[in-house]
Amino acid sequence: MINSRRTRMIGLIAGGLLLAGCAAGPGGSGPATHEALIAPQRERAAALAAQGNLRGASDAWKVALTIDPQDAVALAESRKLDEQIKQSVGDRLSRGRDALKRNVHLEARSHFLAVLALEPGNREAFEALQTQVREVRQVNHTVRAGDSLTSIAQLYYGDRTRSEVIWETNQLPPNPKLAPGTVLRIPEIPGLPFGRPDPAPTAKTPPSGGAPATPGKTEPSEEGLYANPALGAAREALERGELVLALTTVDRFLGQNPRNSEATDLRRTVLLQQGRTLMEQNKLLDAYTAVNQLVKANPKDSAATSLLSQVRGRLVQQHYNQGMQLFREEKLPAAVAEWRTVLQYDPAHDGAKRNIDQAQRLLKGLEERQQKQGK
Amino acid sequence: MKSSGLLLLCLLLAGCGATGSAPTSVQTDRPAGEFFESADYFVVVAGSGATAQNLAAKYLGDADKDWMIEDFNGSATFAAGQQVAIPKRPWNLSGVTSTGYQLVPILVYHDLAPQAKGRMVMGAKGFEEQMRYLKANGYRAITLKEYVEFVSLQRQLPKKSVLITFDDGYRSFLRHGYPVLKELGFSATLFIYTDYVAAGGNAFTWAELKKLSDEGFAIQAHSKSHGDMVRANAEGAAEYDKRLEAELVLPKALFQKNLGYAPDIIAYPYGRQDDAVVRRAKERGYVAAFTVRRQGSQSFVDPHRIHRIQIYPEMRMDDFVKSLSVFSQESIK
Repeated sequence: MINSRRTRMIGLIAGGLLLAGCAAGPGGSGPATHEALIAPQRERAAALAAQGNLRGASDAWKVALTIDPQDAVALAESRKLDEQIKQSVGDRLSRGRDALKRNVHLEARSHFLAVLALEPGNREAFEALQTQVREVRQVNHTVRAGDSLTSIAQLYYGDRTRSEVIWETNQLPPNPKLAPGTVLRIPEIPGLPFGRPDPAPTAKTPPSGGAPATPGKTEPSEEGLYANPALGAAREALERGELVLALTTVDRFLGQNPRNSEATDLRRTVLLQQGRTLMEQNKLLDAYTAVNQLVKANPKDSAATSLLSQVRGRLVQQHYNQGMQLFREEKLPAAVAEWRTVLQYDPAHDGAKRNIDQAQRLLKGLEERQQKQGK
Repeated sequence: MKSSGLLLLCLLLAGCGATGSAPTSVQTDRPAGEFFESADYFVVVAGSGATAQNLAAKYLGDADKDWMIEDFNGSATFAAGQQVAIPKRPWNLSGVTSTGYQLVPILVYHDLAPQAKGRMVMGAKGFEEQMRYLKANGYRAITLKEYVEFVSLQRQLPKKSVLITFDDGYRSFLRHGYPVLKELGFSATLFIYTDYVAAGGNAFTWAELKKLSDEGFAIQAHSKSHGDMVRANAEGAAEYDKRLEAELVLPKALFQKNLGYAPDIIAYPYGRQDDAVVRRAKERGYVAAFTVRRQGSQSFVDPHRIHRIQIYPEMRMDDFVKSLSVFSQESIK
């Protein structure tokens, strides 16, 4: 049933694609019927959803429904998408709050930004970003002989005038002398490429036709994948163990080249490494989030699934023990909550089930006793 | 029902096959300007010569809302027969999407003069070139009020917005800034330190400021004396407290008396602030405050530490252009 409905839906959308191609062509607008007008919106919605832009897709369906409020596909898809958005918003908000509690600001930032991308007017996410998330992404630069603030600004931002930001961030004296070996913090500047040292000073000049590409000296282009400085920078960051930077850099590249397999592979390596590191640091939830992305993207990825099950095992153990601890302290509802979490990760966990039953029996007994005493 | 759908498909495909005519000669059977309406959108079949401006005037009742149509459709002009979605209300208040977030470059100028001098006196010609660059490249000079509403999640801004500000209160603005801003229809904000007003020479008088204020230029506070508001090392607590209070509060009375309102927005002198300064500014009723840092400002910036980009006379045009980024690309998942 579901399958056949889905096939029909795809058929309809494909039809929409054909019509859209037609309507956009010269002389092709034909009679301006509902169908001809809705078709491009269907195409647009499908394309935006495929790019992960759920809000844009939802808007496109609303435009389609403006043309024909009865359009069955638009009604169904719009409703489905809005439900999905609502759920994701709730989920990411709670993960953002949780990250703030743990003081992991960059993680909180990513959750709250995700909420705004789904629901741009969400006040809770907006205010959390505005008043609570404090950290910005940054890398360290070790000063080499010959470095100046302007040369470093040119290197990281492609804009020598941003030396002021480095100066301010590092609280340097006026006209500072930079001693080799000094470590400077280089913060991300919104609107500029970050963590992509691009030594080419003449970034604006288009590469001349026949000139061979020199690795590290070329502008990133969609063709020049292997010489791409963005991926080079991501790989270097991975080697230095700066995983957040590596991930951001590779994600940014993937934003522009979504189908680049080299970048996807690199992203997987970074996430696996991140998962391992976080697990070692006992940041289990973060580790789980990182690795789960990989498993979701490719359930057959054996390295990822085995790492995920390790992390899951530890999470289960941690929450189970925490529950026991709380139980001993007679904090029964809190203990139950911990064991419920265990069941989220491992629905067949017998110990957790038994303990929940027992705790609930105890709670009920307590309540009854209290009621009697109350009377 | 089903057969009519098939027939329609055939018609459309047939229409598609008969290509060759230029897009401008496209005719629709329906009258151009046919439209549909829901709570959130109009969808319009464009007539010939349709632009975001004339559609905004007709459907939104305000040609200045053309940016809504332009930003939503990614184009400001439309071929006859093309469908145009017209949002009736803001659809993205924070400017965040799955590919990144909006930035507003906020520019700071100080004095203007026929010739540039040092780091703080901008040459009139250079300034005019920069303003014309902004206009020619589709930037919209928003008002201070609009920007503050943006950082309060109350207003969506055009994608290519820029806020133009001037510090201190130099009346050279009237000769070298005002005319080109007026010509281009650009709004601007002046941050004034009150000790300097009516000080003679290049200082504004209150009457001049009142006139600018009446014309829609925003005039706001830049302290009393332009002293650094951060506590100095040797400064005693009581002494500092008194000084800070004066810098934040005295301008209010003077503004009230001369311009008819008390300022509620401040630019910190030298852009300098710390947590104590920010806290006091909030307590004294400043709802937004500006510092100086060479980066654009997103909607979710800390409203009491909004970044402004200082423009120096020695900056080349390409340096200026690099300061104008209006989007921070980031894959947001």
